Amino acid sequence: MRRRTLLAATTASGALAATRANAFVTQGKRRTLVFSGGQPVPVLDPHVKYDYSTRMMQQSLYDALLKYVGNPPRIIPWLARSWDVSKDGLTYTFHLVENAKFHNGDPLDAEAVRFSFERGLKLDKGVAWMLKAHLDPSQIKAVDAHTVSMTLKQPFPGFLSFVPWWFIVNPKQVMAEAKNGDDGQAFLTAHEAGSGPFRINRWDPQAAMVLDAVPDYWRGWEEGAANRPAGVIFQVIREPAPRREALLHGSVDMITDMSPDDYDALAKMPGIRVTDDAGMTPFTVMFNCAWGPTADVNLRRAIAFAMDYEALIAIENGHARLLDSPFPPALEGHIAVPGMPRKNLARAKQFLARTKYAKGGLTLDYLYVAGLEVERQVGLTILASLKPLGIKVNVQGVPWPTVMARGAKAEGGPAMIGVYVTPVSTDPDVVASQYAASAAGSYWGMHHLADPTLDRMIAAARVELDHAKRMAMYAEIQKRIVALQPAIFGMLENRRWAMKSDVEGFVFSPVRLTGEVDFYPMWIKA
Amino acid sequence: MIRFLARRLAFLLLSLAGLVVLTFVISHVAPADPATLAAGPDATAGMIAAIRHQYGLDRPLPVQFLLYVEALARLDLGHSVATGHAVAADLAVYLPATLELVLLAMGFAVVAGVALGIFAAIRRGGIADHAARILAVSGIAVPAFWIALILQLLFSVHWRLLPIGGQLPVAVAPPRPLTGMVILDALLRGRPAVATTALVHALLPAFVLALPCLASILRITRQEMIEVLAAHYVRTARAQGVAPLRVVTRLALRNAMVPILAMIGLRFGFMLGTTVLVETVFDWPGLGLYAVTSATSADFAPVMGATLAIGVLFMLATLAVDVLYALADPRLRVS
Repeated sequence: MRRRTLLAATTASGALAATRANAFVTQGKRRTLVFSGGQPVPVLDPHVKYDYSTRMMQQSLYDALLKYVGNPPRIIPWLARSWDVSKDGLTYTFHLVENAKFHNGDPLDAEAVRFSFERGLKLDKGVAWMLKAHLDPSQIKAVDAHTVSMTLKQPFPGFLSFVPWWFIVNPKQVMAEAKNGDDGQAFLTAHEAGSGPFRINRWDPQAAMVLDAVPDYWRGWEEGAANRPAGVIFQVIREPAPRREALLHGSVDMITDMSPDDYDALAKMPGIRVTDDAGMTPFTVMFNCAWGPTADVNLRRAIAFAMDYEALIAIENGHARLLDSPFPPALEGHIAVPGMPRKNLARAKQFLARTKYAKGGLTLDYLYVAGLEVERQVGLTILASLKPLGIKVNVQGVPWPTVMARGAKAEGGPAMIGVYVTPVSTDPDVVASQYAASAAGSYWGMHHLADPTLDRMIAAARVELDHAKRMAMYAEIQKRIVALQPAIFGMLENRRWAMKSDVEGFVFSPVRLTGEVDFYPMWIKA
Repeated sequence: MIRFLARRLAFLLLSLAGLVVLTFVISHVAPADPATLAAGPDATAGMIAAIRHQYGLDRPLPVQFLLYVEALARLDLGHSVATGHAVAADLAVYLPATLELVLLAMGFAVVAGVALGIFAAIRRGGIADHAARILAVSGIAVPAFWIALILQLLFSVHWRLLPIGGQLPVAVAPPRPLTGMVILDALLRGRPAVATTALVHALLPAFVLALPCLASILRITRQEMIEVLAAHYVRTARAQGVAPLRVVTRLALRNAMVPILAMIGLRFGFMLGTTVLVETVFDWPGLGLYAVTSATSADFAPVMGATLAIGVLFMLATLAVDVLYALADPRLRVS
């Protein structure tokens, strides 16, 4: 009896010790990089869905013709070793590498590229919006085994900037698993058919995704075969506090989705490194430009000049910079717009005097996503900033779906909504078009701005082939947007990750979504 | 007994119908558009409209309800707009994880609650009784999410004795599913080390889940036992020299068991509801976490599916208690 008790106690304490241990994950002599964030990965299909956690996995499992790297972001050849553009700017011809292969050994050829772009456009989900206005599936041709041509409906110089997010799937594998005409959607939700540096070992959409490195990855391993990690694990830990503890315990190598205070505290911990780079995700407070008091541009200008901008930087503990344009600096064509509103109560009162609310006496709603502390504090800053104008602010934290629903319609919609916007490409059209009337009602278009002049300017710049001329057009567009003041152009948060000091190869690129990391060049120092 | 059962089953079906109507209405009056959320922030109006059409969200609400009920009759719980997964398939994955946690918690709550209740009744007025009563009150009064965070802080952060969350360490591959319950599957697959690790991971969430239930069972056991122990037949048995342990277990407890059983059934239902909080705090990949994740993206079908699953389990537990109750007390069958 005593022996049995001893055995039970030993087993239990062994289990506890295993749980407590700071044991990193290994496979043989190789380490596995464990990354943790709060957002699960419910769908893997690269043509159906993307967000930061999903695309991080897709980028690991698949390859695209081109790839974004570095800061400022550059587009480099990937599956396409080179490309040509016709003089009329309509036809793009990609010349593929010849050694690329899918995980099942099938060669990655021009037909796979054609199939993947056609599938993305046909499904009309996820990435489709990027190219559907410019590219017809019938105009994608596999010229030979290693050459693909795409002919656009009209010139679109921003075309290449979206291509890195169009991942190539194995047509044979996908179509073999297609059911009921779903083009393999059910299969690719939970499986992969890619050629990327990692392949799936295990996937639990609520908890973790375990990827194994592909030892003979067609592109090789930049860090050298000896340093190549055994794999990557994306662990979902929803609450920030346990995530931080997991990093401190050593069970996780790198984390994201933390508050500025958490990052600052972690930066002081031994053995922990916190990155701090200028991001590409502007935080703006969108006005309702089509309904209610903020339909008056003078009131919008008054609010913009009353805003305490320095408080925004303080909210981020200094890890942010003020926006000097609707475009983030990493976007092509960005200029510092002259006369960008900064706190100036005298000017604010001048603008207010031009409205029917010269003496204030109105209450405006500010909506933010409940639980986002920065957005809440911005609301309090607006509340304090508008007090001298006699404007009261009703700061309301509501669930994300409610923000979307209430912002979708101008009529009856809130006067102000706090919004983070991450452009998916470096082409200026991606941000400019968010201020076009056609964007009204979408997440980006909760301002409901409708300015025909601006719309014309955006449409013209989109198709302009002369680069210098095009950039000059975008400079004017930025000025026009600021003059219309569809938002308080707030700040640009720094992108931050906390990682153990033995994590190597991390390369920041602001064009990735907040929290998104490229695992390919990363490894853990032995 | 058959009439009794038939009546109970009819009531269960009526309750189920009410639950279906209620969950549908609550889900659909929420000011949120699941298609917009599923399409993503960059989606065009056309893409959003296509998703809305694909899932029938563009139809009038009464039509959507009728289609939902019709599908439900075929045990088709619909598809998640956010993921495209069949809700029934998702439930098959997540429900066992929740059941595993609930069964562990319930087992602990029943054993500890009944034992402590008996002990408190026997030592009525003593220190043990007072301690038990404090536990009974605080177990019900303290919110589960608060106690969960405090225990995480103590056991996982400060003392580093127990894992902070999850079902297994991320590097440990779970056993191939047989029942879907990781501990049980690990044992059935001959992986006792994995079963032990999974059990260690379940300790904190199961304890938090068990606490209100344990408190209720303790309180009612103590109360019933005090009443029964003071009854004439117990006094007579003692006077006749029946052993004290036998008096407590065979005579008193047996007679006190009917209301305790009712409480266990009731608490089983509450426990299923509490999993929503506990699973979220502990990142336990069960039905509660699934419901929360779906609710944050206004994904109606999974939310309704999870609610229905919890509701049906609650009703079945109540039915089982009613039957046991009736078996134990024939007067109920007559009334």
